[in-house]
Amino acid sequence: MIYVQNREIVVPGQLIAEGNYRHLEGSFREGDRIYSAVVGLADIKGDKVRVIPLQGRYVPRVGDLVIGVVIDTHSSGWILDINSPYTANLFVSELVHRKVDLNKEDISKFLKIGDVVLAAVKEVDEYMRVLLETPERGMGRIEGGKLVEISPAKIPRVLGRKGSMLKVIESKTGCTLAVGQNGRIIVWGDDPRMVNLAVEAILMIEREAHTSGLTDRVALMLEGGKSEGK
Amino acid sequence: MEKPEKLIVDGRRLDGRAPDELRPLKIKAGVLERADGSAYVELGNNKVFAAVYGPREMHPRHDQQPDAAVLRCRYSMAPFSVEDRKKPGPDRRSMEISKVTKEALEPVLFLELYPRSVIDVFIEVLQADAGTRTAGINAAAVALADAGVPMRDLVSSVAVGKVEDTIVLDLIKEEDQFGTTDMPVAIIPRKKAITLLQMDGHFTKEEFKQALDLAFRGCEKIYEVQRQALKEKYAIKESG
Amino acid sequence: MEEIVSSVKRDYIIDLVKQGKRIDGRALDQLREVVVEKGVIKTANGSAKVKLGKTQVLVGVKLMHAEPFPDTPESGVLIVNAELLPLASPTFEPGPPRVEAIELARVVDRGIRESEAIDLDKLGIKPGEDVWSVFIDIDVLDHDGGLIDASALASIAALTDVKPPQDEDWKLPGFPLNRLPVAVTVAKIDGKLVVDPCLDEERVMDARLTITTIEDGSICSMQKGGRGYFTREELEQAYDLASAKAVELREKLR
Repeated sequence: MIYVQNREIVVPGQLIAEGNYRHLEGSFREGDRIYSAVVGLADIKGDKVRVIPLQGRYVPRVGDLVIGVVIDTHSSGWILDINSPYTANLFVSELVHRKVDLNKEDISKFLKIGDVVLAAVKEVDEYMRVLLETPERGMGRIEGGKLVEISPAKIPRVLGRKGSMLKVIESKTGCTLAVGQNGRIIVWGDDPRMVNLAVEAILMIEREAHTSGLTDRVALMLEGGKSEGK
Repeated sequence: MEKPEKLIVDGRRLDGRAPDELRPLKIKAGVLERADGSAYVELGNNKVFAAVYGPREMHPRHDQQPDAAVLRCRYSMAPFSVEDRKKPGPDRRSMEISKVTKEALEPVLFLELYPRSVIDVFIEVLQADAGTRTAGINAAAVALADAGVPMRDLVSSVAVGKVEDTIVLDLIKEEDQFGTTDMPVAIIPRKKAITLLQMDGHFTKEEFKQALDLAFRGCEKIYEVQRQALKEKYAIKESG
Repeated sequence: MEEIVSSVKRDYIIDLVKQGKRIDGRALDQLREVVVEKGVIKTANGSAKVKLGKTQVLVGVKLMHAEPFPDTPESGVLIVNAELLPLASPTFEPGPPRVEAIELARVVDRGIRESEAIDLDKLGIKPGEDVWSVFIDIDVLDHDGGLIDASALASIAALTDVKPPQDEDWKLPGFPLNRLPVAVTVAKIDGKLVVDPCLDEERVMDARLTITTIEDGSICSMQKGGRGYFTREELEQAYDLASAKAVELREKLR
């Protein structure tokens, strides 16, 4: 028995389903019944029940791409704020991909307080101690661009199914985006007007993340914005 | 404040309500920009804000819990919120209210999902007319949900009491001051579980049961307004 | 605990200002949207809520009996207090007032006191024993920068809202408010002056200057803040900006 419409906005404690269902993220089970744990959209597929949250802090998971800000240094690396209840650790060897003799090299030349870093989550232990790494090209210290912060819960919509929304924004504005799972996005572009347009699209997605047909509306808005002022 | 001659006349209270009637209640979710979650509650003449920050890093570190988040609550009254100016800063009353508020909210939170972190709840009473702690709890529950903190349910709260031998719901200042009994209650509506109970005054066993019934009925109504406030915040029209 | 500004954001804001633009799309000399709502608190004698962009400040004024200061036995007392509520920002913590809250209250106090906005001499009751004390309590609810300007505006708005207390010792027909001092803050970012900085701009500014002016454009109080400096030319330019913008803000008090 299902008690809500698919994609209906539900609130904590609201009964969603009763009987032989499996509960996934955003929901919990008591006896035979599955309830929502958060404000979000009920999402029922077959026997799977979940609630897509509309708010909430970012909790790091291994493999996530994140954008961090350096808030402190220690002898062998840096502490980064990753817009989460937990700070993350980045060791110098993970940043420069080689052994560094800490007695001979001054690591402050690599990163300073306030620097922005694109990184992947390498490890999260049971005490929520987080390690970062920068294994791919383009990861590491970021220069230029515009930093946008939105609710981490809305990031899946900015990416879209298989990155479809991201592709729309990039192709229509000619900008390049780095999207962190932790709610931070960097937009690079030569034309400041196009950068602003891309930011506007991101903010529109954040506002309307829970509505359907969003990709089409974003594409339309970007088309309109492009022709304006030409 | 002068004592009115009678607090209940022909079954009507000073503000015209029936004994089992709630004051006008207005709740809005997501009213503050900086907070992770927030809510504004007007219950009669009470005006209360609640803000939630977190889960965030816990300082000082030695207060961290290795396997769960810590909930911290701070109830505070603006200096202009009462008849005589209230000196700013915590006093014994507000510290006790902060404690019972925390204990009223804790049972519904999945704190185990955020080890070592802290969830801060700040309640600010801007205008007070009895029942500020219940209004604060109602606001805090909505603000926690608005912040995306996973919860088993909301928490709803109301005061009941005895005024001239009548059991009444949701006391105003005059009734609180000159009535016989004041009993603030908070419940987890879905489970009918009580998470806050304080009482001063006098109840017989029968009156206590009657008052509790009334509190449950009042909380049901508040619960509905809380749920609506959360749903309304996201019921935004699509652009274009 | 202060938030650390990311280098990307800092560079972005400075870059924009160089081009005469701002992070929220305003012109350098443009105020944020201002909304003044009076009479919001019944338990206060006067009250006002001011929204300056996303910043929200609520001020309540209470008139209470008090003992006069020995040197002014027949004059009323003015007390301004500001609370940076932890509700308003992730960087505000519960506890005794921080120096920022003290500065905020004192700057607002000076604007009102030095302009002689309130005729305190009329607020005596019994010389040497009993006078009216005007408590201005500032509650910062949501902090997105510009707290001095928002608090000063909310304070003067709350004073225009004061209803005489129901008290036999109150003999005046109304509240003796003579002037409307208005504070406007100008920030210096990479050598350029911007009016009404938002929080992001405050975090990267070199310095700020708050100028409080009255109706005739004369100055009644100033406060410089921040590590940087102003040149003489910049000071004159800042005054022109602040006095012009004060006129716009004073309009909102009606």
